[in-house]
Amino acid sequence: MTKTTTALLATSLVASTLLADGVVLVQKTERDVTKLTPTSKAWEYVKATTIHLYPQTALVMNDKRANELNKNTKAKEARVKAIHDDKNIAFLLEWPDGTRSIQSGYKSDVYADGFAVQFPVNYKDPKKLPYIGMGSDGRPVVIHLQKAVEKIYEPNGNGDVSMQQNVLSKNAFGDSAVEFVQKVGALAVKDYQRSFVSEGFRSMTEIKDGSEKFDADMSYSDNVWRGTLTRPLKDSYLNLKGAFPVAFAVWDGARLNRDGQKLLSGWTAVKLVDSNGGEKLVAELTAAAKGDPEHGKELIEQNGCTGCHHISGLSAANYMAPGLDNVGGYSTSAYLRESLVDPNAVVVPGYNRNAHPSALWYNLDHGKRVSTMPPYPLDDKSLDDMVAYLKTLKSEVK
Amino acid sequence: MSKRQLAMVMDLNKCIGCQTCTVACKTQWTNRNGREYMYWNNVETYPGTGYPKNWMELGGGFDESGDLQAGVVPNIEADYGVPWDYNHDQLQFGAQLKPDVEPTWGPNWDEDEGAGDFPNDNYFFYIPRICNHCSNPGCLSACPRDAIFKRDQDGVVLVDLDRCQGYRYCIAGCPYKKIYFNPKISKSEKCILCFPRIEKGLPPACAQQCVGRIRFVGFLDDEEGQVHKLVHKYKVALPLRSDYGTQPNVYYVPPTEAPPKFDAEGRVIEGSNRVPMEELELLFGPQVHDAMKTLRAEMKKRKETGKSELMDILIAYKHSDMFRLDQEYYQSIAKKEGLSLAPIDNRYMQGKNSPNKFKFKVVEYD
Repeated sequence: MTKTTTALLATSLVASTLLADGVVLVQKTERDVTKLTPTSKAWEYVKATTIHLYPQTALVMNDKRANELNKNTKAKEARVKAIHDDKNIAFLLEWPDGTRSIQSGYKSDVYADGFAVQFPVNYKDPKKLPYIGMGSDGRPVVIHLQKAVEKIYEPNGNGDVSMQQNVLSKNAFGDSAVEFVQKVGALAVKDYQRSFVSEGFRSMTEIKDGSEKFDADMSYSDNVWRGTLTRPLKDSYLNLKGAFPVAFAVWDGARLNRDGQKLLSGWTAVKLVDSNGGEKLVAELTAAAKGDPEHGKELIEQNGCTGCHHISGLSAANYMAPGLDNVGGYSTSAYLRESLVDPNAVVVPGYNRNAHPSALWYNLDHGKRVSTMPPYPLDDKSLDDMVAYLKTLKSEVK
Repeated sequence: MSKRQLAMVMDLNKCIGCQTCTVACKTQWTNRNGREYMYWNNVETYPGTGYPKNWMELGGGFDESGDLQAGVVPNIEADYGVPWDYNHDQLQFGAQLKPDVEPTWGPNWDEDEGAGDFPNDNYFFYIPRICNHCSNPGCLSACPRDAIFKRDQDGVVLVDLDRCQGYRYCIAGCPYKKIYFNPKISKSEKCILCFPRIEKGLPPACAQQCVGRIRFVGFLDDEEGQVHKLVHKYKVALPLRSDYGTQPNVYYVPPTEAPPKFDAEGRVIEGSNRVPMEELELLFGPQVHDAMKTLRAEMKKRKETGKSELMDILIAYKHSDMFRLDQEYYQSIAKKEGLSLAPIDNRYMQGKNSPNKFKFKVVEYD
């Protein structure tokens, strides 16, 4: 009886798209959300949404030790909260991490814990969201990054290379020498907090002109990191209204995580409760796969997908195409379907072409990337089944 | 591949391990701002652990099919050595001289140790090492941000510090471990082949200061240049560990002139050579045999006839012949690009981001 009611309730809620599972609901507050920190009491009154963060396995990075440490990494469960005040939106991400890793000191091989929040610049068509790995050509994303790195010197952060020079080479003496050193300090010392625009991970570029205002912070206790991000709902990069997708990534410094060595979520729907629109997006991002995964698996094998793509148990590791072991965890169904039908819609930047010259992911046609993968224009049922199977490819959650 | 390639040749027969190059580089570039532990130029004793420790075993480079190999990021304390200083200021007040960091390892910890049994067959020689400014750089290929680039005008490999995010995959990818992590700025840095000097027609500091005059610098395609002659005409200058597949552009004249071995009674074994050929083959490839043949033949020819272009080059009479850096070439590029001042490397100096919302264009190397 209880089961039936819950099921009924769930159906009606999904239909109303208001409290669907996995949707981050954002209430409005009268208070200034930019004042929120990871330890603010106010977060206790905000409802949390559970998300899952999966290991990035599309590419194999070239750090031997990191690869060994991350061989059997499992997915993590994290919690997201968000609240807005009409001007700004604040996110809280809570994720478990048994080790607090700060990058500090005179060390060459120490890495920081950290997190990032990613927004698509354009999310009108929920079936054509940017590639989850830092966007794709023509589908840019904005990324905010906070890492637990001690204050660092940014040599040309403000384009001011002259400030990186040694005081001894500056013809500065006495007071002017002291002044120079202070100027360097004031210019250079920064929190490791960055914004990026990106159309694919190789193009990721830091926004350094101050046009992207945001703040992020991290706090660790009881084996849990809490990270906050506050940013405007609207600025020259993003216009967040109705419902919009957000993705999260976390890095574990103790496992030598950085860059692609990370855990990431898929696009998660965020709904501003008091703002209209976005029903289609919420429905798209929360819909259950409708095909038959068993049949999908057969089709994947019949169509030779594993000749290039690595799927554990089906094919050996190689560099030819994105690894699919966690593709179900961080990719949307629409993306998977689009990639089967039109591999050129999103061409994953892949490795540097020098790194694996005999396994090129794409060719260049007048500077445009053309995927090595041929299109698979199969019937709807077959595509649904294949997508349903691909959606099952993900690590178990620890 | 760049349009032109600048290269360096080092004559190992003449390297005396004085470290003047090391000091020239250190005072010019790496004595400050988080670079203290780095030696963009180092001189190591071979056989020995090298710098960083056992760098040849730390991976990186490419296999035969051209796939980038995974590598290891060395540790400052254990593999590079933390630089230390002494309390000279305190000595006048009666303090004992002592280092400010407990020295446990450093570059040249095993200097001049070498291998073999003294005095019968012990041997060592020096290998000065800088970034090889490879034609197929492991560091460049490993970077997921396209932050490392190879200059078209001369093939110098540089880090775009604006794009570098300090991931250190480049360090794992470089088989020579000649790119370093700067912990103070959390970015990677490396030898820049003194490009601001080069663009002014001056050789890199390490080459200019070399007291043994072992270093030649010039464009590989400059057929009148000594670098071209040593590498392509006489084929006596060979790249180090070319089996790593990065196509390095620093070349070495192998050490041919080691003394002979002694037998158990301390007598000279005629025709013997203390440096084992298999070691030279490991370092410089099978071409080392021909290179040594040529060197010895030319030496003999010089002795007999008084004439040998190769020997004249290796004697290194004039800096102006040893360093052929075409300042006009650089100035013409600067002029074409509308830059009034050298250095002409905008990207290194300014980074790629300067304009608002600049969309970085991924550079595809073919």
